[in-house]
Amino acid sequence: MNFKHVVKRFVGLISIMSVALLFAGCSKSAAHKVTHITYWHVNAQTLGGASVDKLVKKFNDTHKTIKVTAKYNPNMYQGLMQNLQSAQASGKVPDIVQIGWAFTNYFSDNFKYMTPTDAAQKFDKNKDTITKNFSNQALSFAKNAKGKLVGLPYSLSTPILYTNDSMLAKYGIKKSDLSTWEGVSKAAKTIKQKSGKYGVYIQEPADTWAQQAMMLSNGAQIKDASGKAAFASSQGEQAYQLYQDMVVKDKTAIHTPWNQGMDDFVNGKVAMAFTTVAQASHIKQSVSFKASAQTAPTFKAHKLTVPVGGSMLSITAQKTDQQKAAWTFEKFMYQNDSLLTWDKGTGYLPPTKTALDSSQFKTYLAANPMIKPAVDELPNAVPWTSFPKNGLQAEQDMIDARDKILSGSSVSSTLKSTQEKINDQQ
Amino acid sequence: MLSERRHIGWHVLLLLICLCVIVPVLFMISNSFKTLQESYHSILQLIPSHPTLSNYRTLDKQINILRMVGNTFLMATLVTLGKVLTGLLAAYGFLNFHFKGKRVVYFLFVATIFVPFTTVMIPNYLVISKMNLLNNVLGVALPQMCDATGIMLFLKAMERVPKSLTESAKVDGIPDRRIFCNIIVPLLKPNIISVGAIFFINSWNEYVWPTLILKDKSSFTLPLALQNYISSEGGTNFPLAMALAVIMIVPPLLIYIVFQRYILSSISNSGLK
Amino acid sequence: MINNSSQVQNKIASRSGPEITGRFRYRLKPLMYLLPSALLLFVFIVIPIGYTFYLSFFNWNLIAPTKEFVGLQNYISVFTDPTNQKVMLNTVIYIILLLILNFIFPYLISLIVNFFIGKMKGAYKVLFFIPSLFSLVVGAMLFSWILNPVSGPAALMLRNFGMKLPQWTNSGSMAIIVICLITNWKVFGYNFILLLTGLGAVPRNILDAAALDGVPKWRVIWNIVLPMNRGVAIYVLILTIVQGLQYVFTPLNVITQGGPYYGSSNILYHTYLNAFVLYKTGSASALATVTFMIFLVLLFVEIKFVEGRNRDVE
Repeated sequence: MNFKHVVKRFVGLISIMSVALLFAGCSKSAAHKVTHITYWHVNAQTLGGASVDKLVKKFNDTHKTIKVTAKYNPNMYQGLMQNLQSAQASGKVPDIVQIGWAFTNYFSDNFKYMTPTDAAQKFDKNKDTITKNFSNQALSFAKNAKGKLVGLPYSLSTPILYTNDSMLAKYGIKKSDLSTWEGVSKAAKTIKQKSGKYGVYIQEPADTWAQQAMMLSNGAQIKDASGKAAFASSQGEQAYQLYQDMVVKDKTAIHTPWNQGMDDFVNGKVAMAFTTVAQASHIKQSVSFKASAQTAPTFKAHKLTVPVGGSMLSITAQKTDQQKAAWTFEKFMYQNDSLLTWDKGTGYLPPTKTALDSSQFKTYLAANPMIKPAVDELPNAVPWTSFPKNGLQAEQDMIDARDKILSGSSVSSTLKSTQEKINDQQ
Repeated sequence: MLSERRHIGWHVLLLLICLCVIVPVLFMISNSFKTLQESYHSILQLIPSHPTLSNYRTLDKQINILRMVGNTFLMATLVTLGKVLTGLLAAYGFLNFHFKGKRVVYFLFVATIFVPFTTVMIPNYLVISKMNLLNNVLGVALPQMCDATGIMLFLKAMERVPKSLTESAKVDGIPDRRIFCNIIVPLLKPNIISVGAIFFINSWNEYVWPTLILKDKSSFTLPLALQNYISSEGGTNFPLAMALAVIMIVPPLLIYIVFQRYILSSISNSGLK
Repeated sequence: MINNSSQVQNKIASRSGPEITGRFRYRLKPLMYLLPSALLLFVFIVIPIGYTFYLSFFNWNLIAPTKEFVGLQNYISVFTDPTNQKVMLNTVIYIILLLILNFIFPYLISLIVNFFIGKMKGAYKVLFFIPSLFSLVVGAMLFSWILNPVSGPAALMLRNFGMKLPQWTNSGSMAIIVICLITNWKVFGYNFILLLTGLGAVPRNILDAAALDGVPKWRVIWNIVLPMNRGVAIYVLILTIVQGLQYVFTPLNVITQGGPYYGSSNILYHTYLNAFVLYKTGSASALATVTFMIFLVLLFVEIKFVEGRNRDVE
């Protein structure tokens, strides 16, 4: 083994490969003027990844001057934001991204983007795409704390209550009893008494969406009109108290990470699960019992209020060519049949009026009855609260509060101290 | 020699450990042959009642498995070659030459082992981005092409080479690089293979760094593909993920079986006579 | 056999060319061998650490146009913030557990396999090593499924014996134990092999001589084998701590995300949380710098200890 020979070989190998790869990169851009844009999404295969690919392919086939490349970002919206941060630091941002609602303010404060209003004005010379398709309510989801429209709502989800109907029937629980949280708590006690199994699982991802839903449905506000945290009110504390009692006192609700909790429900060890509509198709495919879903419970004498989940599409492209191409792509994604493909693949709800009312969607709903309660809840959906300053830390503080309360800390003092901490950072 | 009966006690302990080690693997393989529904219905059953290849077929349809194996193989090979070559060279440099501040330099080299990945991730991303190597297998491999653990291991192995061999070669006027290529490296073959195998396997399973760099599905590696099947939001399809995990482990397993002799042989048998 | 090394040195020196070029060539040579590694390590590790150190004096998120200089504030909060303190305490617990599971335990088993049994050594070597081939993501997913306290196979089996698997995700200490066990599943085989190869290098004649003299096996191991194996053992020890803490990151990320309430988090994961979840780059950089300093102290101790001892042994 000759030393020089080895080094030469190694260097030669590397150079050949780099040249080859460089050329591979070159050959991609065709002779004609084709605008390349990248679309960042969070859709794993179980969350409509195939739909994304299908839509991107269809767009590329029908739009010869634009080529879209889709990039999957693991770890949902949080993972996408991490990658986006690196991209921004290096100056090579994607052109159109999905921004999770929890990140609306952080995104609009720190990243450069083109609002849909500006895009419509610049490239369409009118705002029809926005005004004709989206209700005011839908648009309110995508506004930041200053009231500016940051993107267009794309993925919409609401929390619903899935039930193991065989278990409910076995232990004599009527579904109508489950329209209130008080009723759910009572039913969970019955189930625990009669079978020893858990009554309900309330989702525990790395965000407090479900807990926000509970507090909102008891009339509490997460933040008040001035943007300060206000959830440590008597209504907020009451809602959390019921949750804590179920977990700690009655031991009828199971406290466990999201994956394990949903597995427990599908395995028939938990009778009810309060989680996103996006889980519907996974549940449908996995259960060996009759499962159904109904609208989220609310508190007695209070109107049902749920925070919307999901994301919006926002244009982060910096050059006019890319921005125009991204807007064209975005409009394509909002066409009725595109939205239908999208919603069928993900279980999300259509963000536009026309898609929601379309006959194809109605047919799809009839075939997937578990999605219907989420649609019914849409009129009661409000934006997911994201705090204007230090919003990410605020969300982390709320997750910490949930952890503390579910291990037994006093609801009242935990919520109060969390609220103070968040407001100190505002 | 101890009696056979005393041995049995030890063997029971060791077999127990084997059980703890292997049973999870059996569950993994077993689930990969179950449908989603069956995996929930018959949890304890290691042998599926209705074994199916549907997971593998789905994977084959949704991702280009062969291409991903190729991508992963290319990346792991590049990284391993880089680590082994730079490691051997540097170890020989430390072994053979004495210069001022050598101990400090060695300390600095070894200190790099202690740098956690989260610290270097973003600056490395910026460098690779400036070099225009984003979405390129070279961009993934380059920052990982040197590993101080390799330098440490190779140096320790080289120190075991009897000085008589190298000194007599030097006296005969053989230049250092010939000593390196013709004496040291061949003697280190078992170490090279065992250390290289570990580098390869770790690089094979790496996903944090490739996630940042690779964009195109066509350049994805297997661990990235696995991320595509893990989603709390949409629900994780456990059997499908396990099927992909089984596919992921086949090449490292093959490498292990082939090079097992070297990986497991003791130094005393390595021919350092 | 060449006995006088100075004679050798003289002969070698006389072989190199004229004084000036010879010395130049002599000084350039080590550089050439060390250059590739040095370059790669410098660009991809040393510079980032320097940059991190620089960032630790600011409040920044890596992308906002202005950085806010805060001096030593981040470092002060590293030591005074209660969450940071909890996380550092956890790190100590992790290190102790990792030492026991990934160093002492494989060492004991390798001693048993090498000295106390006769057959099946090869089979054990193969079987123990198999988990090392796996990605830790797969391992974490697998064990999260197996150890699901309500509906996983472990829980179901225990139920048959009337026992219950505790909700380990709800307790920081139990979560730490499970996470260490998952890491141990993957790392045990590799550490076992490393230690075993070290033991195998102990010269047979010493062991045979001791056996002939009637020295009991445990004595032989304690007084002869262990000290001779010191180099490999210390290497595995350091690796256990450093790589162990980096390995546990994956199960932490996949299963508990540091919860409940930082109960299972350690300094490495907390650095990640600050950097990539909260985007508090300054705090993360200060944490990373402090972590690195602590490791450097460990390294210094190792080099002193091993170098010193190695010279004694020789």
